[in-house]
Amino acid sequence: MKVLALYSIKGGVGKTSSAVNLAFNAAQAGYRTLVWDLDPQGASSYYFRIKPKIKGGSKDLMAGKRDLDELIKGTDFDNLDLIPADFSFRNLDLLLDDKKKPTRQLKKRLKPMANEYDFVFLDCPPNISLLSEAVFEAADLLLSPIIPTTLSLRTLAQLTKFIEDHDLSKQNLMPFFSMVDGRKKLHKDIMQQVLADYPAMLHAAIPYASDIERMGLERKPLAAYSGKSRSAGAYHELWREILARTVL
Amino acid sequence: MATHYELPANLSAEKLIATLSEKVEIDHFSKQYFLKTFYDSFDWRLYKQGLSCEFNRSKQTSSLQITNRKNGDLVASTILFDVPSFSKQFNPGKVRQTLEATLEMRALLAICTLECDAYHLNIVNEDGKIVLHLLIEEFELLKNRLTLIPVKGYDKIAERIAEMVTGLGLTAVEKPVLLEALKLQGRHPKDYSSKLDIHLTPEMRADVASKYIFSYLLRTIRVNEQGTIADIDSEFLHDFRVAIRRTRVGLSQIKNVLPEDTLARYREFFSWLGQITGETRDLDVYLLNFEQYKKKLPTVIRQSINPLQHFLTAKKLKSHKQLARKLRSSKYLSILEEWEDYLSSTPPQNPTEADAKLTIKELADKRIWKIYKQVIKEGEIIDRHSPPEALHKLRKTCKKLRYLMEFFQHLYPERRVYKLIKRLKNFQDVLGDYQDYATQQERLKQFSEEMQSINTPSKTFMAMGVLIQDFETRKAKARDCFSSQFAAFKRAENHTDFHALFVPKKP
Repeated sequence: MKVLALYSIKGGVGKTSSAVNLAFNAAQAGYRTLVWDLDPQGASSYYFRIKPKIKGGSKDLMAGKRDLDELIKGTDFDNLDLIPADFSFRNLDLLLDDKKKPTRQLKKRLKPMANEYDFVFLDCPPNISLLSEAVFEAADLLLSPIIPTTLSLRTLAQLTKFIEDHDLSKQNLMPFFSMVDGRKKLHKDIMQQVLADYPAMLHAAIPYASDIERMGLERKPLAAYSGKSRSAGAYHELWREILARTVL
Repeated sequence: MATHYELPANLSAEKLIATLSEKVEIDHFSKQYFLKTFYDSFDWRLYKQGLSCEFNRSKQTSSLQITNRKNGDLVASTILFDVPSFSKQFNPGKVRQTLEATLEMRALLAICTLECDAYHLNIVNEDGKIVLHLLIEEFELLKNRLTLIPVKGYDKIAERIAEMVTGLGLTAVEKPVLLEALKLQGRHPKDYSSKLDIHLTPEMRADVASKYIFSYLLRTIRVNEQGTIADIDSEFLHDFRVAIRRTRVGLSQIKNVLPEDTLARYREFFSWLGQITGETRDLDVYLLNFEQYKKKLPTVIRQSINPLQHFLTAKKLKSHKQLARKLRSSKYLSILEEWEDYLSSTPPQNPTEADAKLTIKELADKRIWKIYKQVIKEGEIIDRHSPPEALHKLRKTCKKLRYLMEFFQHLYPERRVYKLIKRLKNFQDVLGDYQDYATQQERLKQFSEEMQSINTPSKTFMAMGVLIQDFETRKAKARDCFSSQFAAFKRAENHTDFHALFVPKKP
């Protein structure tokens, strides 16, 4: 089982849509896939039409009163399951703080799932917190969407520094471009520069496109309603690139 | 909660859907004409493993599904256009993994096909989320079925629907459709097994029981004949040959029961059959083990052995062609038919053969005990300096003993006889290994000579040399194990058990 976290310090960069669409690609390829919606806003749960609520809330979960398996919901797609978000996830940091070895808690919860799934995608809330550190500990890969703007580049630099400062150098950070506007010269220039500076950067880029925005209306992964679109193709390419760099 | 239901005769699929749609929201609905074909190996390996494999084909799509036969749970599925014969021909994935572990070298064969109209529908909740899948299958000749396919985390709706359909007169069924479909064909699962299971009773007259045994073996020969000719998989020829070998042991070991002149003729015929099938089987064994041979080689020369595989494949094709021709020859067909006629004829009321009127139990005791003693005698004279022929002779005697014990197993208390067969089998393993390594080593030398004339790269000969050396090492190891294994077989406890079972106490 490989754990892939969609993570960014910044909000609105395309984490959730990437988690949902990458997971959909994995599942379509026959891999047993799980999405864990850790963001209390519950956007990935919403995209799968699953209520953002878990039995006993985050309290029971962190107290070990419930196995993760009990919380899993099947999506409408083969090989693809989801652990919904819960509004109580906004307090996850506090609950983690009460535990011994708080940063190991997510990893511990996921361990029993090792034989059930090939890939787990963590859809993380946008911040740097105790939960983020627990995510870093649990994840084999950190997938970080980057909008090719100067501000986003600063965010990437912050994240890289954070990883270095916290001795997380083994962490496999793979940034990728998200919400790319092909008409903007600035986007193109920045992409060129970043690809040269960051060898870990993935080459497939997700465009800024209205069909991705439509996910909120359709409430399903992009390829389920617009399989032949350029954006669906971009997610597919991104997935193939990630898979090629991941040893199962 | 049951997930499989039969519809009552007065309830059509459409009527059921209409009734359900009044109570729950049904989203997607499709009706497709399907051909549902069940697959398994000839010897029912999937069935025995508790699995069911079905290939559903419609105009638009086709898929293969492996399910748990008992609870209908999906084990693995894949979209496919044609079903390959062998598990290794499937794309990597769960389906292949499941099939490979169970089928090994056996081919997947279509067992039976049903025509059906399949209705797929989804029940959705207020968010439009699918919470339960339903499948209704309308069959031509069987009762229609409803299958509930629950979605993880949405158990309540499945329970609600189960209750609802029970109220509509549907009955929960446990028997999979496969069993019903086989019944239509007058078949039942596990109708073939390569294991001997001859139901004799102790009082049967020896000549009658002998014919019964030979008839059983003849049936095995017959059922494997076409698969051998068509070379569907290597096990058809294997089982065909085992039945021939068992017949030969029967013909030589069940003495003074059937007329000697009759037996002599068939002895010659079955010896010929053994001979003509040998070469193809030897080559099959090489090809089946090829990947293992390859793994024995150092990585750097592993690929150099490939020309041997091509050589063996070509040789096997040629040899099989000749075999198939012989199995269609008038010699084969007519003598086997005569044998069948002879076996089905009523034995004379007053046979002249000395032991014909013994009971089969008396005969079995006598023969098994005699051959057991022969095994011990032959084993005792083998020491470190004995030639390989002595081990080969002993191996053949053990085989005779084993077959006799298996022919007559139902005449003895089950546990006691199985225990002795198992001990004999352990002893046979070491003799078998020794002989197999010796034969394979010899054959490999012959192949190497034959390959000299076909432009084979020198690296291939080098790799073959490594294999020949490996067989030598393994042969020596097996030879070293002989004395301890024989000692284990002839130990007092085993001897007492053999004596107690096969030497009847005098009244």
